Amino acid sequence: MSVQQATLQSLKAGRRALWRQRLAENWRVFRGNLLGKIGLSLLVMFGLMAGLSYIPPLIDPMYHPMTGVDPLVVKSTGPSLTHWLGTDFMGRDILSQLLAGARVAFMVGVSAAFMSVVLGTAVGMTAGYLGKTTDTLLMRLADMIMVLPTLLVVLMLAALFGQLSIWMIVLMIALFRWPGVSRVIRAQTLSLKQRPFIDAARVAGASHTRIIFRHIMPNVLPLAFLYMTFRVTSAIVIEAGLAFLGFGDPGTVSWGMMLQWVWKTGHMFTAPYWLLPPGICISLITLSFYMLGRAMDEVLDPRLRDETQAG
Amino acid sequence: MSQSHKDILKLEGVSKFYRTRGNRYRRGGGTVVALSRVNLSLRPGEIFGLVGESGSGKTTAGRLVVRLEEPDEGRITLDGVDITHLKGGGLRDYRRKVQMVFQDPYQSLNPQMTIADAVAEPLITNKVGDPADRLERVLGVLDTAGLSPAEDFIYRFPHQLSGGQRQRVAIARAIVLEPSLLVADEPTSMLDASYSAQIFEILQGVRDQMGATIIFITHSMAAARYLCDRIAVIYHGHLVEQGPAEAVINSPSHPYTKALIDATPKFGRCEGVPTYGTYLPAPRPAGEQAGCPFFQRCALAERLLCSATYPEWRQVAGEQVCLCHFAAEGGQSPPPPEECRLGG
Amino acid sequence: MALLKVENLSIGYRTAGGMLKAVDGVNLSLEEGRSLGLVGESGCGKTTIGMALMGLLPPNGSITGGRIVLDGVEISALDEEELRKVRWSQVAMIFQAAMNALNPVIRVSAQMTEAIRTHRPDMDEQAIMQRVEGLFNLVGLPLERLHDFPHQYSGGMKQRAIIAMALALNPKLIIADEPTTALDVIVQDQILKETKVLQEQFDIGIIFISHDISIVAEVCHDIGVMYAGQLVEAGPAQEVFFNSKHPYTRALVGSFPTLAGPKSKLTPIPGEPPNLIGAIPGCRFCDRCPKDTASCKLEPPKWQEINERHWVLCDHC
Repeated sequence: MSVQQATLQSLKAGRRALWRQRLAENWRVFRGNLLGKIGLSLLVMFGLMAGLSYIPPLIDPMYHPMTGVDPLVVKSTGPSLTHWLGTDFMGRDILSQLLAGARVAFMVGVSAAFMSVVLGTAVGMTAGYLGKTTDTLLMRLADMIMVLPTLLVVLMLAALFGQLSIWMIVLMIALFRWPGVSRVIRAQTLSLKQRPFIDAARVAGASHTRIIFRHIMPNVLPLAFLYMTFRVTSAIVIEAGLAFLGFGDPGTVSWGMMLQWVWKTGHMFTAPYWLLPPGICISLITLSFYMLGRAMDEVLDPRLRDETQAG
Repeated sequence: MSQSHKDILKLEGVSKFYRTRGNRYRRGGGTVVALSRVNLSLRPGEIFGLVGESGSGKTTAGRLVVRLEEPDEGRITLDGVDITHLKGGGLRDYRRKVQMVFQDPYQSLNPQMTIADAVAEPLITNKVGDPADRLERVLGVLDTAGLSPAEDFIYRFPHQLSGGQRQRVAIARAIVLEPSLLVADEPTSMLDASYSAQIFEILQGVRDQMGATIIFITHSMAAARYLCDRIAVIYHGHLVEQGPAEAVINSPSHPYTKALIDATPKFGRCEGVPTYGTYLPAPRPAGEQAGCPFFQRCALAERLLCSATYPEWRQVAGEQVCLCHFAAEGGQSPPPPEECRLGG
Repeated sequence: MALLKVENLSIGYRTAGGMLKAVDGVNLSLEEGRSLGLVGESGCGKTTIGMALMGLLPPNGSITGGRIVLDGVEISALDEEELRKVRWSQVAMIFQAAMNALNPVIRVSAQMTEAIRTHRPDMDEQAIMQRVEGLFNLVGLPLERLHDFPHQYSGGMKQRAIIAMALALNPKLIIADEPTTALDVIVQDQILKETKVLQEQFDIGIIFISHDISIVAEVCHDIGVMYAGQLVEAGPAQEVFFNSKHPYTRALVGSFPTLAGPKSKLTPIPGEPPNLIGAIPGCRFCDRCPKDTASCKLEPPKWQEINERHWVLCDHC
């Protein structure tokens, strides 16, 4: 191995150490934030629930959240030893439904948020960087979508095409929720574009692609990530709303679905053990993602402050 | 000028206008002249100073040279090749030869990029060498730019460095391709005075060791005198005086050059620098569009002539030329007769 | 009696990495009508001292030792309410970023009358207006621009307006923190000269904070050179500039180019100032000092009197 190769190796090692150090620093700030800690512990709890959701059906087929029916139960019953949270109107276990609901919530929330943020970031960066006609067209499109009431439109589509699968719902949410992100990312891109380091990159011979991916993107990604945590919240709420109104995926057990079953079978005021758990879970998971987002805000902020203060 | 064929960079009649958009207070758009018919030629291996205040167009001139902007009129040639409207691949090749150091080191480095990545960027975009070669060159230029041991700096982010260090990183990045022309846009104005000397030393080293030609843009006459071989003074987009640095500063001819010298702090080691008093503290009403650009502030202006007629370039001494009706050989403009002079 | 006495002043900032000693044992004194220039690199503590004199330290900063006495009153012991009375009426400040010190949506005249009205409830509107017009004349601003908004002013005019506001209540002391850094050379020169004239006219004490020793030397009677939170050399401007003793002062004087004289090589100062978190046993400059000896690193240097009123903090001068 030549000396050059050795230095190169050490450069790579140094770069890794640098990122570790950066991560550690961010983690330190995050840990100092109470909201973030609460949010993160709640999310860990929901994550555990989602993970545990695979276990009950293995114990006994009657614990399958969708199809498992306790043959001894014919109506909704309260908590007992065999059904810790009770059963629903046809004897399905509420706890295993609740666990399965956590899995669905994560799946819907994260994937819809991820898709909308990716789309929003791509559109926002393109519009901001290219400017002119492209900017106008993309932003007018964003405006048009932004003013559409997501829930109402998805409801209408669901009514038109019959029941929608959970993935269709995810896609819909993503398609309707990107404009907000793209506005923020566009604004950020516009201000970055004016910064001298972009001029410096141009003088260094960087192509547009390189400027977008190497210079602008790393500077907007933290913001995009921040927006993702907030978007998760709204995606979960929209899915729950759809399901509660009866337009959810009938093949999936989500918390919104559970609420719909409570309501449809008239147990709203008679079975708190059935009504409360999914309701509390929806509120808590949206709250925890929100708190996480607030903490991320803190984490991203000091670095920005750091930069300006040095000047 | 006899050796014009040897000039590395030539600006011929270069103008740049900015269109301002109207707003609620000022209806309609207007045009701001950033540069007006500028002629410049640079000789290989010299440090050429462009001196002026903010808004004088000196930065615009620098940005035109590195082609961050395109001139509206005139033409720019490097080694005889017209680069005024280069695009695409041609522009990329051009930028291998012409690099720039920006004014504000707090803004000109990407906060998300390590020093190693920032300095290596010109090499990567121009596909020079393999990663190992590139690293070696990066370490080399960091050393040239006075950041040693270079290994200590490459893993850091810009916000972990002081302003002086950042500016040295910016210089390293600009010289890593060994350009033949370097534009340094007020590289010390955002830094503590104590860092300036370091930056000057590095720039001199770049010229002496790499043979690069440097355009040094500054507002400081003293810095220009220290660093430059020749200087040009620019006022509101118009060049007003040009010549060897020593000559222009010791015997300035244009009233604006004199005003700049008056304004430089002279405490210590400046005995014998006269006070010229050529700058009107309050501007007089504007003259005609075609008049002398300095008319409003010039204490020596003669109303009829200066407000209406654009001056011609006059040779003052040797290579020193001046854009003033009253410039005369010998370096001093004779004061106009008392009755023609305007009150302040 | 001195107008201002700063005795053994220490100021610390609480940071994530620990206590940062921004100012460490600084002594200053200023007579009425004199001007003192504080010079040093960014981070040397000069702005922190200015803020402390105004009682405007940021929330994570505090005076950890020593005292500030202005005109017989110990400022460092006052509470916020008492400080507010002292501020502007006795000590005024001209900030580094003067452009931002004016409220962009309020007319200049209104901002100036407001400043006077809050501190001088006894003055009637007409008297206040007369005062404002007088100030405008004083700093060379045209009266017809009195009712403009700040954004209609040029940089130099804004700085003049700020100076007028600083003078409004006849303060005994003005702290000028890099007042001309953002201005063009010609305007800078005009403002410096006018400041000097006003100071002599009204017998105001000025503390002039700058990183540029050539400007300070031109404007001030005395110079204090600061390095890494300490004062390292102090004395009359002529003395400190032409007869500098401390290696840092010499480097500062030798590091800026001049308009005349031989084009001697400038002397750049190598290295960077030390980190002020944690204890520094010896001399703070020794890492960058050409005279560095073994004892410098271990023992803190002592003050030496070079001449009358010219002091230096170095054992080898």
